[in-house]
Amino acid sequence: MNTPALSLKAQLRQAATDWWRSEAPTWVYVFKMVLAGLLALGIGYGLDLESPRSALITVFIVMQPQSGMILAKSFYRVIGTLVGSMAIVVFVGLFAQTPELFLLASALWIGLCTVGSAHNRNFRSYGFVLSGYTVALIGLPAALHPAITFDSVMTRVTEIMVGIVCVGLVSALVFPQASAPGLVRIIRGRFTAFVDLISATLGGTADRKQLEATNARFVGDIIGLEAMRSAAIFEDPEVRLRSGRLTRMNSEFMALSTRMHALHQLMNRLHANPAASAQVVIDAISPYFREVQPLLTRASGEPVMSALDAADAALKLDAYKRELPRRVRATRNTLSEQCQSDNAMLDFDTASELLYRVIEELHAYTLTYASMTQRHHEREQWEHSYAPKTSMTTALIAGARAAIVMLALAAFWIASGWPSGDVAVLNAAAFCAITSAAPDPAKATRTVAIGVLFAAVAGYVYTFHILPRLDGYWMLASALMPVLMLAVYLTTKPKWAGYGLGICIFFPFLAVPDNFAHFNAAGYLNESVALVVSLLVTAVAFMVLLPPTTDWTVRVLEKQLRKQVVDACFGKLAHLALKFESGTRDLMHQITLFTGSRPLLRQKALGWMFATLEVGHAIIELRNELHGIRTEAPDLLPASAYAALNRLREAIPALFAQPSAATLASALAANDTTIAQVQAAIGPHYRERSQRHRLQRTLSYLHFIRTALLDEQSPLHTMRAGATNNTTGERHAT
Amino acid sequence: MPREISFFDAYIPTVLLLAVVAAVLALAADRVLVRFGFYELTWHPALFRVSLFICLAALLGLAVYR
Repeated sequence: MNTPALSLKAQLRQAATDWWRSEAPTWVYVFKMVLAGLLALGIGYGLDLESPRSALITVFIVMQPQSGMILAKSFYRVIGTLVGSMAIVVFVGLFAQTPELFLLASALWIGLCTVGSAHNRNFRSYGFVLSGYTVALIGLPAALHPAITFDSVMTRVTEIMVGIVCVGLVSALVFPQASAPGLVRIIRGRFTAFVDLISATLGGTADRKQLEATNARFVGDIIGLEAMRSAAIFEDPEVRLRSGRLTRMNSEFMALSTRMHALHQLMNRLHANPAASAQVVIDAISPYFREVQPLLTRASGEPVMSALDAADAALKLDAYKRELPRRVRATRNTLSEQCQSDNAMLDFDTASELLYRVIEELHAYTLTYASMTQRHHEREQWEHSYAPKTSMTTALIAGARAAIVMLALAAFWIASGWPSGDVAVLNAAAFCAITSAAPDPAKATRTVAIGVLFAAVAGYVYTFHILPRLDGYWMLASALMPVLMLAVYLTTKPKWAGYGLGICIFFPFLAVPDNFAHFNAAGYLNESVALVVSLLVTAVAFMVLLPPTTDWTVRVLEKQLRKQVVDACFGKLAHLALKFESGTRDLMHQITLFTGSRPLLRQKALGWMFATLEVGHAIIELRNELHGIRTEAPDLLPASAYAALNRLREAIPALFAQPSAATLASALAANDTTIAQVQAAIGPHYRERSQRHRLQRTLSYLHFIRTALLDEQSPLHTMRAGATNNTTGERHAT
Repeated sequence: MPREISFFDAYIPTVLLLAVVAAVLALAADRVLVRFGFYELTWHPALFRVSLFICLAALLGLAVYR
């Protein structure tokens, strides 16, 4: 060994620092959760509750790294449990004499709760899961002894509350992990990504892959920020004061990124256009892009980081925004002397309009960010919330699946007289509810089933060889600790999370004694078999009964995504843009979850998202503009132009409802007629500037829709009659 | 004060109801304190909030078991 001792010491220190940085937070988390669990167990024994293990299991069900998430999850768990308990009392009161009706009612209730949970987002969805789960977990044992239903429900609710209070207190007080840094990290990352995107737009780099990656990241960011916000308001009063502004920032960011994407796409298409006039337009508009980047960077050259930097950037953006229209008009005048092509002028107008709106929205976004330094601010007034979009079809399927699994097992239980049938039924129902939110429920249930097998074996050894030798709570706690620590540690590793969760929930279920301990080996084996069987049946149901990971589900979601355009055409105009933006992204997020292992499908869906966002957003803008024209100056456009616009409003939804060569051709034709009509309405003669500008804006939206419909990389392209996928072939002029 | 209160014919310990009252009071105090930026002065805001609640609950509890 020729390594000197000093370097070995240094190496050891290096290794220790590495370990401290990467593994210490995990072990702190493991320590906290096991502490909370054992604390809940101890309090449960101390209070003479019937089965304190429920408190322990509750701790493991709500455990999350950040205390805000635990508090949010606990809050909804309390609500869900209370609602579920009331349902139990009602069901037992109504159907105590007829188990068949009781089981049917419970199955319906669990199905309904699963539908509700699939229809909601974040931890609110969890509240629905819980209210179904409670009916299964508490209701079935209670229904077997109708006389003591009320007492047993009260005991179980108390046990759950003890678990929730323990995990909430421990996570908030012992080495607390705040959510606020995560929020700040996301918001900072956005500015960096934006500066990158702007420079990419400037270069016109047509790298579709990178664009897809950036937008997929934005979608993830938006959903992530919303999830974090909804959890952090439970934990941090400072975040709660800023909650409205955080929602607002997210909405503004969605609007901004859609607009930025539109601009980016327009520039890409211009770069791809071989005509000489396109190059002239690019040369005319490019200098402006170069000026945007410095507005978003500090003097030292790094992108905007803190809210204070943002205030500075907002001032610069404001000045730039006020200057922009005058400068663009000057550029336009010189450009119109240089080239006579109508199309080139249209491209320039569209690009400059988009640029102006990007700056406007960027300004609003930075203003909101800058306002974060203050506790109170007028920008807090923001009543529009994030609108989750879930396909009712998939939600109904999930609900039906849960109800069917429960009914099938219940029928088997009643028909066969299986002694542990109740355990199997309640567990299958609970697991259908819990895993229905997972992206691949069948796989999740399979891994949990393997965890349960381990828990059953380890639990047997514990119950019949170790427990009889133990005396008192402290010995029990020290005996449980190794297994619980291993299980919690496994849940922190994504690959092993399912196994860990199985052990976490079912090891206490099998091995932790009730307050009045009884040992019954045959009963233990029966229960273990029932648990494993119920999980297997659940896994099979997820694989067989319209599994959520099939191509069919993705196609349904894709169809919903396209339907967003139809909503954009006919929905009520108030807040339509916000609803459209968040709904489209939410759908895309669901598709992303389902297509984890199938990049081709995801790419196709992303293509549809781009087409939907571009066309839908332009249509909403167009409708807003037309609404202004109709109410303020209806004679600005002739009747024939209104007729053409109405035809367009029929043709575009038809295209997105049923994409085919015929509908695409008719949409394009309708769009071309409308452009011609509006161009004729503008005319060469003199018009007041605001009127002219209005018409030009209308025209630029129409032109943008046209370029989006003609985009070579959009999935619409494959519909075009005579189109080839050969990108090296002749490019279509845009 | 009576130690148990009849609520729809179910006896509920008064302390439990008082704990709910204390939680409401603590929540209101929390809103006021954050408005003045009080939590910047505390070392462990979460600990302070929990302690505040326990103090209030204990005070109200004294009214029953004194």
